[in-house]
Amino acid sequence: MARNNYQDFVELNVSTCGATDANCGGSPCHSYASDASLRDVQFEHSGRATYGDLARGKRKRGSTQGVSKDKRIEYAKQILQREMLPHVGSQPCCSGVTPHSRSTIKRHGPTPLGIQPYCETKKAYFVGYIVHKLLILRFAPRPPLGHTCAPAAAGPLLGQLFRQLFRKLSKDVQKYGQKCIDKGQDFSPVAAVQHKTISNGLKYALATGTHLASRRAGRAHGSALTLGSTTEIGNWGQQKSAPGSIRAGVLNRLTFASTLSHLRRLNTPIGREGKLAKPRQLHNTHWGMVCPAETPEGQAVGLVKNLSLMAYISVGSAPEPILEFLEEWATENLEEIQPSAIPAATKVFVNGAWVGIHHQPDQLVKTLRAMRRGVDISAEVSIVRDIQARELRLFSDAGRCCRPILIVEDQSLLLKKEHIDKLRDKEVSRFNWSDCIANGLIEYIDTEEEETVMIAMNLSDLRADNRMYRYTHCEIHPSMILGICASIIPFPDHNQSPRNTYQSAMGKQAMGVYITNYQLRMDTMANVLYYPQKPLGITRSMSYLHFRELPAGINATVAIMCYSGYNQEDSVIFSQSSIDRGFFRSVFYRCYRDEERKVYFSGDRGGPESGRSEKFERPSRETDGLVPPGVRVSGDDIIIGKTAPVEPRAEELQDAGAARYEKRDASTPLRSSEAGYVDQVLLTTNQEGRKFVKVRIRSVRVPQIGDKFASRHGQKGTIGITYRQEDMPFNCEGITPDIIVNPHAIPSRMTIGHLVECLLSKVSSLTGDEGDATPFASVTVDDISKLLQNFGYQKRGFEVMYNGHTGRRLERLESSIFLGPTYYQRLKHMVDDKIHSRARGPVTLLTRQPMEGRARDGGLRFGEMERDCMISHGVASIMKERLFECSDRFRVHVCDICGMVAIANLNKGTFECRGCRNKTRISQVFMPYACKLLFQELMAMQIAPRMMV
Amino acid sequence: MPLPHVSDGTLPAHVEEQRTRVSIHEDAPRMTATVEAAGAYFASGVDNSFSMERFRRDLRIEVQQLDEEEIVFDVIGIDAAIANAFRRILLSEVPAMAIDKVFILNNTSMTEDEVLAHRLGLIPIRADPRLFRERVGDEDPDEHHVIAFRLEIKCTRGNKDDPGSSEMVNSRVLSSHLQWIPQGDQEERFREREIKPVHDDILIAKLRPGQEIVLEAWCEKGIGKTHSKWSPVATASYRLLPEIRCSRVRDHFIFSVESTGILPPEELFCEAAKVLMQKAADLAQLLKDAVLGQGGGADE
Repeated sequence: MARNNYQDFVELNVSTCGATDANCGGSPCHSYASDASLRDVQFEHSGRATYGDLARGKRKRGSTQGVSKDKRIEYAKQILQREMLPHVGSQPCCSGVTPHSRSTIKRHGPTPLGIQPYCETKKAYFVGYIVHKLLILRFAPRPPLGHTCAPAAAGPLLGQLFRQLFRKLSKDVQKYGQKCIDKGQDFSPVAAVQHKTISNGLKYALATGTHLASRRAGRAHGSALTLGSTTEIGNWGQQKSAPGSIRAGVLNRLTFASTLSHLRRLNTPIGREGKLAKPRQLHNTHWGMVCPAETPEGQAVGLVKNLSLMAYISVGSAPEPILEFLEEWATENLEEIQPSAIPAATKVFVNGAWVGIHHQPDQLVKTLRAMRRGVDISAEVSIVRDIQARELRLFSDAGRCCRPILIVEDQSLLLKKEHIDKLRDKEVSRFNWSDCIANGLIEYIDTEEEETVMIAMNLSDLRADNRMYRYTHCEIHPSMILGICASIIPFPDHNQSPRNTYQSAMGKQAMGVYITNYQLRMDTMANVLYYPQKPLGITRSMSYLHFRELPAGINATVAIMCYSGYNQEDSVIFSQSSIDRGFFRSVFYRCYRDEERKVYFSGDRGGPESGRSEKFERPSRETDGLVPPGVRVSGDDIIIGKTAPVEPRAEELQDAGAARYEKRDASTPLRSSEAGYVDQVLLTTNQEGRKFVKVRIRSVRVPQIGDKFASRHGQKGTIGITYRQEDMPFNCEGITPDIIVNPHAIPSRMTIGHLVECLLSKVSSLTGDEGDATPFASVTVDDISKLLQNFGYQKRGFEVMYNGHTGRRLERLESSIFLGPTYYQRLKHMVDDKIHSRARGPVTLLTRQPMEGRARDGGLRFGEMERDCMISHGVASIMKERLFECSDRFRVHVCDICGMVAIANLNKGTFECRGCRNKTRISQVFMPYACKLLFQELMAMQIAPRMMV
Repeated sequence: MPLPHVSDGTLPAHVEEQRTRVSIHEDAPRMTATVEAAGAYFASGVDNSFSMERFRRDLRIEVQQLDEEEIVFDVIGIDAAIANAFRRILLSEVPAMAIDKVFILNNTSMTEDEVLAHRLGLIPIRADPRLFRERVGDEDPDEHHVIAFRLEIKCTRGNKDDPGSSEMVNSRVLSSHLQWIPQGDQEERFREREIKPVHDDILIAKLRPGQEIVLEAWCEKGIGKTHSKWSPVATASYRLLPEIRCSRVRDHFIFSVESTGILPPEELFCEAAKVLMQKAADLAQLLKDAVLGQGGGADE
């Protein structure tokens, strides 16, 4: 019977989903966590089956046979209490017992942990509410109002993982206890508690990225429950099956900005192959929460997002203070009201659960806001009043995206000049950000509350006699919508938008000083620029990203011109003289590591004492096998000399006198294509007490033809040629450019910001100040031009130049060269790491074809298309040479009678086919080894491939 | 039809304008090339061939400004090609002395050996390169090739009694810390003008207490073509003389040479002229050899 109700409910849910889908009709209606209400705590606590599972009868609890009817009813009740609408009428397990529930305990007997009295009533009301919403939606559809993003941060994810593991632990203890009782043994707590369960589980999850299945299921369901309210049902439908997972990776340490950006990355765990465009698109509610520019290109576009600079994820606070306050402020409990009173009153929800109704919502909301602004209740609580639907929704849970905005009252900011002054001299006044929050000058608004406030973009919107709108808030600065990487771009508002996206990806590959203690760290790979500079054109966000302190680029003098043709197709001309003087030189560090592992022979499995250890040594010399710092090393030199013991073979053991190998070389060589100096050697012991070593190699990378560089506007290019100073063009002041970029890079890409940056930097280089290139500011190109003109330059940055080769003035179209400083980045891709060729070399074990990849000195693939090309040229011999002679040519001897491979002893010159008793009629055949392999595999399958010669 | 200009042996005004001026237009200059063909103005009865006498007569050099580091002078009456040759030679072919080999005995500073060596190389050394020889191939270095410097510096805490004090001695390694070690008769030869870095306050590295640098640096002679540390000038360039109306005088170059300080700028220009003369002589010799078919020379 209870089961039946359940089924109905599930069906209802399904149909609601269908209804919304139909009504949405293409408009963006995704939301899966409108009510972040379903606190995982409760959901997890009450068991982990989903409604779907229950409905399908997947999960069985207790057997139906041989149990009394009473018990079955009791059990059904329990399911109702615990698993239907688990967020309604239950308390988070941490909260304990609320005062008014004490009396009910007597009446109902002990309730399961966390289940409140009257929870059935509440649930019934809630079901009614769902039906009501459903009907409204069916007959009077309202446009959907967007969705909220509810990211899961590392903390909650880890918390959840811990909870799972802890549950496993307690289950194990229980099992052990049961076993002890059954067998009549003594119960030993030490043996019962497997301390490794939790630590190993956490380690494993962090190492591999375990999927915490079923977590999202709860969320997805939650959205179905608040259907039709401000947020919309999740059309990111697959969410139900999509697992939230912990993905622990190596923190990106290429540039400081890339590290920061990596820590603010959001991943949407739905399939990359999904054709659906919706989840990848930028949505209105992303304003200020997710960076509009920073997303990877390719399969993960839009699925991987980055938080905006000021976006903040709520940590979560207990809902009790709110509940208590609501009770004090005359919220009527659902148990105590007449249902007829509901339509006239405002429904109050806390974390998605309907707690009661209220008759003066204006007053209530005002008080709640005042309390939040005075941090009497947590500043991250969100207060959403939906006047039309007569609802008041409060949220205090974790995982909501919030952002700070200035509060406006009576068309003016509450933040006054005095506050700014106090903030300016923080040391004296001790007035800081949290004081701004506590004094109600700034507040955090989450995505849902954002829908109910009026935000002015600029201060000018307030000052103007703009009585059209009544603003409640004002943006701190519109450039705060950008994320870490996009905040480094000067004038991004002058660029075509994909260019900003490209730069956001490229900024992560730029070299600079990635962290100040790099010489103490043993990162696997690191690039450090010799002479990094802070940019002449800065954005105001940079101060908060420490881009000035840890920069990743150089202010190069750039001319945009055609000069000799060596800068076509995104290549650039570099000044060799500048390179000689240290322009864009960098140091590359690579770290090699090894440890003395234990080797177990077939005999000695078992205890910690067994097994032999590897040893760091140089077999020929009495040393520790490690190269000392300062030594020059080059390709394939041994850096870490190590030997491993070799297991004696049985026959060797018997013949005691015979000499045998006791150890094997297990050294680490330097990468074959690299060279450098040993920078540092670190020798310590690891957790298990084994010797452990890390060796850092350093090499200087001087810019050369083929190295990759980029401006901050998605304009990347490789060096096409380097010219000495005398060959570079010069202007009347004798200035020669460091870089010459081809003008064809500009028009189709529309990176106007690049040009504006150059103009601004030119002015900055004359004034000696930093230029403000913050987006959405009021600086115009004309303003900058005027400044430049005041310094006696052509106002648009053009200069007349002389050809360095001929000494004459550049004429006509070549002239009026746009010249000025532009901030350039050196990207980590360098030719020396890519250059590769091979004549002979290693082959793969299985097919004897050349290896793949530069690292293994592999061959270059002669693929299908290359083959097609050769065929169409009719050069069969070349093809045979490439695909056969130079690949896996192999000689076999074939019996002329049966066509199978014959036995050949070349030393003795005897040939034989045993099957045919044939020793004379044998032919020598050449074929690819892969072909021979295929034949043998076919033979293993009882198929005889015969080569009739 | 009367052709008045033919009789007086001058060009028509607009052609004369083209011959002697580079015109400036809104977008770019025009007529930047020189007309070199001897018979270019034959029809007008004007001889355009090169004449040594005329060149001697018209060539003027007027020094506008001269100080220790920079010279600005007008060169009137030469072609852009010649002016440019001087500029190019100054930048890359006038020899200079620069640190080329660094023997690092100890370096516990944060500055890597490679960076340190690179920085040392770029320090301009006040030594007359004319008094040294370029080392060719594996030639053994002696006092005519090499100037040796020694840098031995250790940073210590200024106040030993108070370990907390931030006072430091030798926390900045400057170019003045480079000690010249005279080789052979160098001390004798350079008594008048001691060999040392041009500037004493070039920061080479920064140290913290306990860190030290001990190294020996060898200065050698070279040219800017090899590496720009051997370039004797900071920059050398010229511009054409502007006129009030929108044009530039074609053969009037305002030349400016900024020395790095190793030699006075006027001497540098003379050196450049010598290099150019040598080049011309070499070329003449080559041509002569080629014409006489003496072989060898033509291969060079």
